[in-house]
Amino acid sequence: MNFFDRMQNLDRRWIYLVVALAIIVPLLIPFNSKTYTTEPSENVYKMIDSFAGKDNKAILMCVSHDASTIAELFPMEVSVLRHCFERDIKVFTICFMPQSAPLVDYAINTAKEDFPNIKSGVNYCNFGYKPYSLFLPILLGMGDNIGEAVETDAEGRKVENLEIMENIRNYEDLNLVMDFSASGSVISWITYARVKFGVNVAAGITAVMAADNYPYLQSGQLIGMLSGLKGAAEYEKMVDVFAAKGKAFSKETINNTWIKITGNDIPTKFKKARIGMNAQSIAHIMIIVFIILGNIGYFVNKNKKKG
Amino acid sequence: MFELISNLVAAFLTLSIFSFLYKDNPFYKFAEHLLVGVSMGYAIPLAYENVFIPFVYNPIFLERRFIIIVPAIIGILYLFRFSKNLSWLARYPIVIFMGIVGMSVPMSMHSSVLVQMRSAMLPLDNINTFLIFIGTITILMYFYFSKEHKGTYGKISNVGVWFMMVGFGASFGYTVMARMSLLIGRIQFLLGDFLGLIK
Repeated sequence: MNFFDRMQNLDRRWIYLVVALAIIVPLLIPFNSKTYTTEPSENVYKMIDSFAGKDNKAILMCVSHDASTIAELFPMEVSVLRHCFERDIKVFTICFMPQSAPLVDYAINTAKEDFPNIKSGVNYCNFGYKPYSLFLPILLGMGDNIGEAVETDAEGRKVENLEIMENIRNYEDLNLVMDFSASGSVISWITYARVKFGVNVAAGITAVMAADNYPYLQSGQLIGMLSGLKGAAEYEKMVDVFAAKGKAFSKETINNTWIKITGNDIPTKFKKARIGMNAQSIAHIMIIVFIILGNIGYFVNKNKKKG
Repeated sequence: MFELISNLVAAFLTLSIFSFLYKDNPFYKFAEHLLVGVSMGYAIPLAYENVFIPFVYNPIFLERRFIIIVPAIIGILYLFRFSKNLSWLARYPIVIFMGIVGMSVPMSMHSSVLVQMRSAMLPLDNINTFLIFIGTITILMYFYFSKEHKGTYGKISNVGVWFMMVGFGASFGYTVMARMSLLIGRIQFLLGDFLGLIK
């Protein structure tokens, strides 16, 4: 039995072991790799950043996923919240899945820890969990009056009485909806909120959903998109390079800046996606090697049988 | 203390699920059934607190808005799905729901068809728009089944198949990335939050 025969008959558990090692080793021994940003992620950053310091502009984060996809989506949510807290951007959060409710709280608390002056009801507001049956009434109602559509926030306070609602009435002010989703829910925001009210819609989605959403990106119905762990890593870097230092976005700067993930004072929670992308890169190389070896083995055996 | 216990439970359940990679075993089964049970157990009281109490109980019993009884009864008809003889009653709430879904048809037409068509009709001034043009035409030709796929027509529609294969490849690549990310997330938890080895 030659090498390729052995590879063809290899117990799949050996492959699992190799993949596990390919992930564990880079996480235990982190290295610095340059995170390149892509245009869809940059567009999300630029749009959110354009609301900085404006009292009459806000963004809405709709969290539509459960714990099974936090590895990809949670770092995005924390990064976007951090961006908003760093740049004094009003941010609202809402969820229509029961399982998302504790994740929203967790994301807000994780991002907020480093910002003692950020206050609920003033700088941000969590609308909390709303039953999915109210998705359409709330989505359409916010086009007229957010306070009437949502009524109360997660703490049971009347939304219209909150300080954050000053100068924020409907989608004209809440001009960006960002859906964090592991499903096709972003299409609903495009179909209803964008078509009817002209709201800007962005997506933070799992990598599985990225290919489905690219057509909407190409047609401009999505202003930008963060795709999977890579998108989260890109956003983390942009927040570190610009928002954390109070600088405006510059393509040239982001291309030339290398933020090291080892030996700096950036908390782990704000570079989790970038640490994960190191492991991702090694795992991808392993998979490519396995695919090449498997194919070579297949063709070698095929030729042998022919011969 | 709470964090320690919650991390211990999460680590035990994570390892129980991973144990399936070796072979099926009682730890995996336990974790799998627990997930289903906890998800339902968490969702039911939350729905009761956030749906039944504010939208059914309070309006009917506290605010005396008895008109709410009508949609409440229509909603209850869903439960007849479990009765052999009366399951037909469950069709009424479904019909009403489908009517609401119908509201989305014009807007879906706009966002998913008209705008997408417009964005495919671009001047062929660069390689990307040229590829979009060729891909759209050849794939549409592949899905036109009133003409037999042979000869020149077959060759052109075959180009559409290649475009689709590239699309499926991109989807598969993203799927691999997504699954790896989930594994990375769990290992980050085990090594970082649980064992404290990631700084």
